[in-house]
Amino acid sequence: MEKHFLADRMQGEGSPEFRAEPWYNPYGDCIVYQIADEAVVAERVDEVLTVYNSAMDDRPIGFQIKGVHAIVQKFGLDGLAVESEADSGGVRSISIVALLLAAYEQGPRTLGRRRAYAAAMEYPAEKRSIPADELQPA
Amino acid sequence: MTADYACKTIDPNNPGGPPIDAIFPGDLTLRYYKYSPVRYGNLIAAKYVLQHPRRVFFGVREYNEGGWCYAGRPAEWYIRGDRTAPFPEDRVFAVYLNPNMRVYECRAEYAADDDPLCPVDWQNRYRGLIWKSTS
Repeated sequence: MEKHFLADRMQGEGSPEFRAEPWYNPYGDCIVYQIADEAVVAERVDEVLTVYNSAMDDRPIGFQIKGVHAIVQKFGLDGLAVESEADSGGVRSISIVALLLAAYEQGPRTLGRRRAYAAAMEYPAEKRSIPADELQPA
Repeated sequence: MTADYACKTIDPNNPGGPPIDAIFPGDLTLRYYKYSPVRYGNLIAAKYVLQHPRRVFFGVREYNEGGWCYAGRPAEWYIRGDRTAPFPEDRVFAVYLNPNMRVYECRAEYAADDDPLCPVDWQNRYRGLIWKSTS
């Protein structure tokens, strides 16, 4: 494989270390979660949820929740912030599972959707919420 | 702070006109480098697809206006760690850009039966196909 075109910009940034945690991508207004550092093949479930399958063996290894800002606007912070205690800075956290539930409610209640959303909710994660003030699209 | 990287690609609003910049955001690139090494590696494939797109779609999100999907087929890609492999025949590599031409996602998609250079179900997922290569 050729030298990475961005390699020079990454000098001094330390060694890469994969993190299996959900995170908010402001450029796509989406939450991304992967449990394995492998190439993914996307399987679109609906306009909100996309499942990531491993390119190695097609097993599910993560998901993407799209249109996060719209979901938050529709359901409000109170409907999504399960751990809603405000800290000293007034920051609240949005539950990933609450986001998935809200997204599920928006679409048809088909078996395929139910299975996909249930599988997404079962992924193990130490980090299960994201501070609401991080959910700002770029 | 890592600087953005600009890559010339087809102008989705004027495919026959001069190329425009697609931007790899510096902070997103850095996140991939540090925490998702395979995704970082596959920015090479993303850059190739932007420079050699085979299909371009508009309207990629239900709840976000605009956005683009450039689809193509790189020769190879990273699949795990430093391991690379030929890009599979029955997949297409998709690069998603927001309305500001910022790259925010790149990944393989299952290829459509009716056009293997399109992601499966492209007729329903996107608002339209705006450009396709003639070669």
